[in-house]
This record gives sequence, structure tokens and C-alpha cells, in this order.
Amino acid sequence: MELRNGMAKATDLGARQIVSAYVQTSKALLARKLSRHIWTILLLLVLGGEAGVGLFVIRDLARSYTTVEKMYNGSVQGLLRFGDLEFEAQETRRSTLYALTTNDGNLQVDYADQSRKADRGVTQGIIQYLAQAHSRRESELGQRLQSDWGAYLKVRDDVLGLILEGSPKEAVHLDLSVGVPAFDRVRQDLEEIKETYSEQASQQLAAVAEFSRRSMTRLTASLLFGLLFGSVAIWAIQKSRMRSAVQLANLQMDFVASVSHELRTPITAILTAGENIRDGLVLGSESLFEHGSVITDQAGRLSELVDQVLLFAATSTARPSHLLRELRVDEVVADAIRSTKGLLEKAGATMDVKIEPGLPPIVGDLSVLSQCLENLIANAVKYSAGNRWVGIAARLNQAAQEIEISVQDRGIGIPASDLAHIFEPFYRSPQAVAAHIPGTGLGLSIAKRSVEALGGGLSVSTQIGVGSVFTVRLPFANEASQGIRRRRVPELERQP
Amino acid sequence: MRAKARILNFVAVAMMLGLMQNQTAQAAPPSSQTRSKPSQSLAIVVNRSNPIDNLSYRELRKIFLGERNHWPNGHRIAVAMLDYGQPERETVLRLIYRLDESGYQDRLLRGMFLGDVFVAPKTLASPLILRKFVFNAPGAIGYLRASDVDDSVKVIRIDGMLPDNKDYRLQIDERSAE
Repeated sequence: MELRNGMAKATDLGARQIVSAYVQTSKALLARKLSRHIWTILLLLVLGGEAGVGLFVIRDLARSYTTVEKMYNGSVQGLLRFGDLEFEAQETRRSTLYALTTNDGNLQVDYADQSRKADRGVTQGIIQYLAQAHSRRESELGQRLQSDWGAYLKVRDDVLGLILEGSPKEAVHLDLSVGVPAFDRVRQDLEEIKETYSEQASQQLAAVAEFSRRSMTRLTASLLFGLLFGSVAIWAIQKSRMRSAVQLANLQMDFVASVSHELRTPITAILTAGENIRDGLVLGSESLFEHGSVITDQAGRLSELVDQVLLFAATSTARPSHLLRELRVDEVVADAIRSTKGLLEKAGATMDVKIEPGLPPIVGDLSVLSQCLENLIANAVKYSAGNRWVGIAARLNQAAQEIEISVQDRGIGIPASDLAHIFEPFYRSPQAVAAHIPGTGLGLSIAKRSVEALGGGLSVSTQIGVGSVFTVRLPFANEASQGIRRRRVPELERQP
Repeated sequence: MRAKARILNFVAVAMMLGLMQNQTAQAAPPSSQTRSKPSQSLAIVVNRSNPIDNLSYRELRKIFLGERNHWPNGHRIAVAMLDYGQPERETVLRLIYRLDESGYQDRLLRGMFLGDVFVAPKTLASPLILRKFVFNAPGAIGYLRASDVDDSVKVIRIDGMLPDNKDYRLQIDERSAE
């Protein structure tokens, strides 16, 4: 008897170690995720900074482009315009001089006409320049040019008149004495204006060069910054992953060690009992029965522990595979009762089953639902204290469009402090442990996960000293299939 | 010796006039596009800077005949004639010079040879060119159909009458040109 109690205690201690390993593993996983996210956020921040610097660079480039455009419109086009103006001025004078070279009145009139056409272009150009003049110097230059050009045109008109009137000598004399100096003044004015444009272009070019230099500096700094921080972030992420992987491996080792220890305890008991029988140390039928009981009990516990761990592992996976089909409620309940018949008989418990007639079918996996109800029935038997009674009821909740299957006991009840934890894996109530009620703490957790995976839920109502009612809620076949489709489409689609 | 020089001068003037005649003959005839609707009146036009507004018919003849060389403002008078065969020219020869074409040529040659005419009248290819000539030369005087006149030149009164006056003397006879 002492041996059996010792074995039970050892089993409980092993389960605690497994809980501890599980919690540490979860924490490690959480820390790893958090660490990875922190560095990812940092990397995103760095990229954001890069984008900000990039915007500055783009702004500078846009400003450079605007300046270049302004320079082109202002200075370069101004230079081109004044190049044309200079040509027109030369044309004005050239046509006048051509008129001197012929006696043909028709040609002279043509040349005079050309000269006037050219001078109109120059006059318009000067007016435009004055209208667009920004600085005082530009205005002064423009006004001076306008004045000098007017003076030259007056001389030109006189020269043309003399040519047409048949006085070429006087025309030449007038042109040399007055026309040439007047035209030189015009040419000088044009040169000064061109120089002004050149100066402006040089200044704007210097500004563009400055913008470009600054943009390049920012771009280079931005790239270096990004490279540096990107490298640091990647290094940190890799380091974090490595550390997490090492930590996880260590925790897995601890978990395996804990499970191994938990397995070793009943194995040791079985070995010891077996060796005693083999070595002839067990004398008498009573002692032999006791050792045989130890062996069968510990083997049963071992089997139960392995089954629970495997089942828990199966329900813990992200995508548990279920064989879904439409099920009748009485079929599910009957399957669970059949599986727990031996347990009930062994415990001497009675069972009342009350299933409402005409319940709609549900969708689920028969083995999973049956296992869920088996766990609840086994708990009801274990915690029913002296009153070995288990009640199973199935009814329709029309308002919630659900089928409710409840497993009731008239046992010790669950303290309020334990209610928040009873569905956590490996959790066992201190009272249960103190009362040496055997268990792994995985049954309720497995039941809850299984039902939730099928689109349902598991709830409990309890009262100390009166008993507890665990209720499985499952949607109707239509609702169930839709709900499962909404939540677990891959599993449904995998089914043939 | 002096007679020989005069003969050479006469030959040179004759050659120059012949050259001018060739040049103007080669010039394109006035296009119908440059001629607006014909008018019977012939306007005498001068440069807009010319202060003269009115001339007597006698003064007009003197100017065209080269007997008067300067305007009151000092500018040399430059007479502009349209090319051969145009009705306006025929009208001027008939009404102002009172000569036919050959008589005009003879008189011009003689006047230049003798030194009475300092500058021969400019012979221009079309009324458009003539108008531009008058516009450009302050001392120019020429003639145009009244319909060819624009603001670039000034029409002067002859004996106090403008071309639109019914008693205006210078009327173009289109048949003479034909």
C-alpha cells in the first residue's frame, strides 16, 4: 500500500516538473518572438529614417532641377535671345550698308525694308528685356540700350534717306561720322547685358553645384547609415535567433528529462516488484497479490501518462487533424459510456443518462468527442467522493442554436481559486493532490481544446460539497459545419 | 577737248539709263494682288516728314522736270517713277511732263548731259515699292493710284485739291496704257 502511495506521489512530482518545463518553453518562445519583433521594428525604423533622408535628397534634387530650369529660362534663354538680338541689330546695319552698294532703286527699297524689319525685332526685344528686368542694373542697362538703339535708328533713317535720294557720298559720310559710333554704343550695351546674363548663369550654376554636393553628401550619409544599422539589426536578429534556438534546445532537453524521470518512476516500481517475485522474496499469496497489483497499477499509470502526453501533444499542434462527419448525439454519448464502463464498474458508480429526443445531428470527430466525454466522466468518478453517481444529459439550446451535453457529479466541488486554472495543462488542484486523487492535470485541458477545435466550447458550474457540472456546447450540423469551415477550412477540405 | 568730254559724258549717261531700263524691265510686273481696285485719280505722295501739304500744278511740273532740286526743309528732292508701260506713268508723262515716253527719255538724257538734272528719277517696279521708297526717303515724291495710298505716305494737294475732288486734274486714262 505504501509502495502504491509512493508511486502516486512520484507521479505527481513528475507532472509538476513537466508543467515547469512547459512554462519555461512557452516563455522562451515568447521571448524569442518578442526579440525578433523588436529588431524587426528597429530595422523598419532604420528604413523609415532612410526614406526620410531620401525625401530630403529628392527635395534637393527637385530644387536643383527648378534652379536649373530657372537658370535656363532666365540666363541661357536670355543669352540666346540676346544672341538673336545682336544678329538682328547687325542685320539692320548690314541691310543699310547693302543699300549703298547698288543704284537700283528697287533693291535699295528692298534693303531698306529688310533693315526696318530687323530693327523692329531689336526694338521688341529691348522692350521685352525691360519688362522682365528684375534688378536696377538690368533696368539701367535696358534703358541705355533703348536710348542708344533709338539714336542709331535715327541715323540709320537719315542714311537710308540719303541713299534713296541719290546722295551716297553724304550717306557714307553720315554713317561713318555718326552711324558707326552710335552702333558701337549699341553693341557695347548688348555685350554688357550678355555679361550680366553670364554672371547670373555662373551664380546659379554655383548654387546648383552646391545643391548637388549637399544632395550627394546626404545620400552618402544615408546609405552609410542604412548599411551600418542594417548590419547591426541583422546581426542582432541572427544572434537572438541563435540564443533562442539554444535556449529552446536546452528546455526541450529538460522537458525530455522530466518526462523520462516521470516514466522511470513507475518503471522502477514495476522492476522492483518483478525482481522481488523472481528472487523468491515474495512469499504467500497475499504478498504476491500486492506485488502483482503494484505492477498492474504502475503499468496502468504509465500507460495513462503516455496516452495523456501524446494526446496533449496532438491537441497542441496548430492543425490537429480530425475526421469530421455528422454525428448523432446519442451515438457520441453511448461511445463514451462504453469506453468508461470498466471504470464505472470498478469504482462502483451509477450513471443516469437523459437525452432529449429528436436532437439535431452535430458535426465532429467521434473519437475526439468520445475522448472528451470520457475525460469528463473519469473526472466525475474521481472527484465524486463517497457519492458515486454520474449524470449525463443532452439537450437543445434553441436560443444559442447549440447542443449541450453535460456531465454532472455530486462530489467535492471545485474551489473558486481553482476555477481559473482547471483548464490549464498539467494543473492539479492542491486539494486533489492532498487527497491523493490520481491524475496528470491534462484531461480538462485536452477536453477543452478538442471541443474548441470543433467549433464548440466547454464550461463548468460548481458548488463546494454539492458537485460540478461540465457542459460541452456544440453547434448544430449546419451551424457546426459553417463554423468549422470559418475556423478550420483546411481540415475540412482535407477530408475525403 | 571740252566737246569730246561732253560727248563721252552723254554716252555714259545713255549707257546708265539703258542699264536702268534693262533692270526695271527684268523686274516682275506688278501683280494683281498688290493692286487694289483701280481708281481714276492719281495721288501725288511725299514722305510723311515733308512739311509740304500743297503744291501748285506748276510747281509740281518743275519738280518732276528737275527744275527744282530741294524742298524747303533742305532735303534733296528724289522723284520716283513707276516702270515703263504702267498707266500711272503714262498719265504722269502725259499730264505733268506733257511728253511721250521717247520724249521723256530724250529730255532726261539731255538734262543730265547738260548738267541741268543732278539726279535722274528713280524707276521702280511697282506701286508697292514706290510707296516704300517714299516712306524711306524724306525727300521723295512720287505718284500712286488713290486706292494704293496708305498711311505710310502723305498725299499732297495739287492746286488745293485732293484726288477725291471732282475737279482734280490728275486722272488716269486707262486706254493710254493699253
